[in-house]
Amino acid sequence: MNFPEHFDVIVVGGGHAGTEAALAAARMQANVLLVTHNIETIGQMSCNPAIGGIGKGHLVKEIDALGGIMGQAADLAGIQFRTLNASKGPAVRATRAQACRVLYKNAIRNAVEQQAGLKVFQQPIQDLLLEKNKVIGVMTQMGLKFYAPTVVLTVGTFLAGKIHIGENHYGGGRAGDPASTGLAESLRGQPFKVGRLKTGTPPRIDGRSLDYHLMQAQPGDSPLPVFSFMGKVSEHPQQVPCYITHTTPETHAIIEANLKRSAMHSGNIEGIGPRYCPSIEDKIVRFKDKDHHQLFVEPEGLFTTEIYPNGISTSLPFEVQLAFVRSIKGFARAHITRPGYAIEYDFFDPRQLQPTLETKPISGLFFAGQINGTTGYEEAAAQGLIAGINAVLKVQAKPAWWPKRSEAYIGVLIDDLITHGTLEPYRMFTSRAEYRLLLREDNADLRLTPIAQQLGLIDQKRYQALQLKQQLIEAQQKKLTQLWVRPDTQAKAQLEALLGQALNREVSISALLKRPELDMPALLKLPIMQAALGEVQQALAPLDDVQLSHQLQQQIFGQLEIQAKYAGYIAKQELDIAKSARLEATPIAKDFDYTQISGLSREVVEKLCSHRPPTIGMASRIAGVTPAAISLLLVYLKRANGKTHVSLEPQQLGVE
Amino acid sequence: MQSTPDTIVALATPAGRGGVGIVRVSGAKVGAIGQKMLKQALTPRLAQHSHFYDPIDNQVIDLGIALYFKGPHSFTGEDVLEFQGHGGPVILDRLINGIVSLGARLARPGEFTERAFLNGKLDLTQAEAVADLIDSTTVEAASSALKSLQGAFSTAITEINQQVIHIRVWTEAALDFPDEALDTWQIQQLLAQLRQVIYALQQLLGQAQQGCLLREGKTAVIVGVPNAGKSSLLNILAGEARAIVTEVPGTTRDVLSAQLNIEGVPLHILDTAGLRAATDIVEQEGVKRAEQALVQADYILYVQDVHDTVPDPYIVAKLSPYQEKVIKIFNKIDLTEHSPGVHHNAVYISAKQGLGIAPLQKHLLQCMNHTTFSEGQFMARRRHLVALERALAYCQEGERQLNSYHAAELLAEELRMASQALGEITGEFTTEDLLGRIFSSFCIGK
Repeated sequence: MNFPEHFDVIVVGGGHAGTEAALAAARMQANVLLVTHNIETIGQMSCNPAIGGIGKGHLVKEIDALGGIMGQAADLAGIQFRTLNASKGPAVRATRAQACRVLYKNAIRNAVEQQAGLKVFQQPIQDLLLEKNKVIGVMTQMGLKFYAPTVVLTVGTFLAGKIHIGENHYGGGRAGDPASTGLAESLRGQPFKVGRLKTGTPPRIDGRSLDYHLMQAQPGDSPLPVFSFMGKVSEHPQQVPCYITHTTPETHAIIEANLKRSAMHSGNIEGIGPRYCPSIEDKIVRFKDKDHHQLFVEPEGLFTTEIYPNGISTSLPFEVQLAFVRSIKGFARAHITRPGYAIEYDFFDPRQLQPTLETKPISGLFFAGQINGTTGYEEAAAQGLIAGINAVLKVQAKPAWWPKRSEAYIGVLIDDLITHGTLEPYRMFTSRAEYRLLLREDNADLRLTPIAQQLGLIDQKRYQALQLKQQLIEAQQKKLTQLWVRPDTQAKAQLEALLGQALNREVSISALLKRPELDMPALLKLPIMQAALGEVQQALAPLDDVQLSHQLQQQIFGQLEIQAKYAGYIAKQELDIAKSARLEATPIAKDFDYTQISGLSREVVEKLCSHRPPTIGMASRIAGVTPAAISLLLVYLKRANGKTHVSLEPQQLGVE
Repeated sequence: MQSTPDTIVALATPAGRGGVGIVRVSGAKVGAIGQKMLKQALTPRLAQHSHFYDPIDNQVIDLGIALYFKGPHSFTGEDVLEFQGHGGPVILDRLINGIVSLGARLARPGEFTERAFLNGKLDLTQAEAVADLIDSTTVEAASSALKSLQGAFSTAITEINQQVIHIRVWTEAALDFPDEALDTWQIQQLLAQLRQVIYALQQLLGQAQQGCLLREGKTAVIVGVPNAGKSSLLNILAGEARAIVTEVPGTTRDVLSAQLNIEGVPLHILDTAGLRAATDIVEQEGVKRAEQALVQADYILYVQDVHDTVPDPYIVAKLSPYQEKVIKIFNKIDLTEHSPGVHHNAVYISAKQGLGIAPLQKHLLQCMNHTTFSEGQFMARRRHLVALERALAYCQEGERQLNSYHAAELLAEELRMASQALGEITGEFTTEDLLGRIFSSFCIGK
């Protein structure tokens, strides 16, 4: 039975990747269908009820800069906000919010249901419809067929998902949801390399059964941060604190005595888990000399008493869970509402993906999210966004786009995945980004919103705000180099007090900004800066939005400060980027014959053949490919071009 | 934004040959380099007699010939400048040092030819030859680099690298996991460790620049039973060539080494403790080192007492995998009928009386001349020094950022670059390696 309507893009799965993909595609004027096994679970957070953090917050800002929904939803649902690394430099500062699960899900679902061009349908997907190496649609469990030239698969941990609690296991995509077995089998039959990963989650606890007075409270920051560049503090719901407590030696003893019964430790689970999110069993085994481990007590939302104990992910049998949980400080009377569990699931080797996340073997089929081996809502959402964008670009026969490593964390994420693959669930850290100093939360909009405008991803208000911001930053930067503090004025006295040393000559505000002892708030107090302040405020008035203007004003002066303080490093990194730009822009034909290059080791030839990197830059990042190998490659590329005038693939490189 | 490629510099002649050393520079900065170091206007394709000035202190390094080619009419197609001077490692070192200080970088093996080809200066049919050249010079350079790292230098560098990694792990962990009670953000502690690393780097650089730790040219190892006369041979060779004899500390049986210069060609000679089945651990260590020396050496000088009719079976067995490298030397001929010199596939000498030494040196020279010598250890050594210098500069800047501004992320950036520089010597340390270290060192887990 065929559904009468044909779509441009079908998105399978309504999680973080799926919703971003569907929304982005619809914003770009495509005709989109989102198919999910359960509409009620659209936008559901499967694990930790939080958005953002180090690396992750950076992704959220970038998603927001590209018009995505995650940042906005986090603003509407965030019940405790913190800026991490606040006392360290701007490059490593990150925003994190505990979110009310219900409010978050509502925000996402609301956005999906209000989006023009986006339709939703509830049915599990059984199979993909293929014609040779092309996808043409999907088929649901009841045999209904939907057709589209592009399909974005974002099924998370559902593929052949198996849940483990102690010695019990059963099929499941998530606690309470069935696994996708039909689809999993059908995909395993395709030419994809499949692996198995695992991840765990802690038990949920009824907050009424906890002794908070024995724990340390962790309130949110004040003033409250905002995730979306267009967001407002007033959008945040009621704020609540988190709590910090720790395990006890008794906890450790209980767990040690029962290690063999842990699903993850007994070897009953296939798949590799993440090193940085170890189960409590892992922690106890690997760090024997620690007599207590910290855990964060996070509220699940404003409308529930459930809490999420972050740090005790486990797959021990239920009675052991109960025993060790009750030995945690403050948890003596704890009532577990949902047991913790481990889940193993299929994932697809992301090295089979193009930078657009389209799979290499099957044209029109895109993979995004946890099925590519990542972990985290933010990592999934980022991929969904890119997949959705490129699905539409493909349908519209326009050049594909993806951000480079030097442009966004999203670029680092994609490049890492498709170049190196992953052995454990991949999570973003700032140390993965060699251009960390350039890729900050504070400049995500400056980096990405212009291209978002070109792609049709954002509304006019956001673009207008960005343009104003860019203009004002540029204008004020020039002004500040010409704003002088004279030696005979009162300003000088104020500054000397701050600097702790005498100012003998007149000095520009720009130069002053570079001094680590001075920051923008201090300088803004000087009378000469008042004029600058006034100018900016006036220029922002046309936006007709007091809160937004205020925020933009802060951001503008913030940028001026950051750009001054990081000037040397920014220049150096930009030089590095320029140097590698040539290699990044040198294309390699899809069918280039690597075997003809004598001097390349067999191992390298194999890797290049299986990878088929589209550019020299990407080739250079494949493990084992040395600078000498690149030299050889360049020599043979030139020979190939000279001899046969091979026309290389049209500029699908996103290099403008 | 496209950037112009780096300006590159390399030694165009192998170190120590003939008395001429040619340093070649290619790239956009050639003009400026020529200005500063020759202090005269350059006319293309005209051999100009000139002083070479050290741009760092304006002292005269050498007097020689400068040859300038304006791109595209040059070997590489870019502006090219050749300094033709008097060879000798010290002069060449200063010259290259000066050029690097003006913004050039050391060329990768085969890079000049690669550029020539990519700029269309070489025929397409030569593509394979170019590729072969790049390939073989890389292999040679890699093996030169390996040989250039003597035991002591290698150990020191490895240790420094480990310390830098350690500090990086702490810093990155503190940045990426601020919520964990990691107790890492102890600025004073980090500063102390960083300063230790800086000190170690400065020491190492100082020693390396004096040439004590990195050697160039080929290596020969002297092997033989204890009374065969190995030490006398070493002494007389060293004495003849007026070279420096240094003791390499750190072993219980000291390994003597000497840097020789045979008609301008450097040769490094090692007298090992002696190969024999060792019984106690202390001696075993010495024997292990001797065996390693056999592997790395270019030549093995197997010294035997001409009176010994039966060669030591242990030594014969140890040398059997290295037959092509072995030069048999029969010593103490002064008490026999043998004439000094090379015959019957061996060299007959008397170290005590100084007989047959000149023929031995000539023989060695012949052996060395026969082997191909392209990039050489000179460049390898220079690359190591440049990497060390960069690592030091980054660490110093990192210390400044941490100490004066508590800028953790800037320290992390400097350390990342220091790690990259050191990685050029010790092998790459990737982000995955870093993350692996962080997770195995700290109990992180939310």
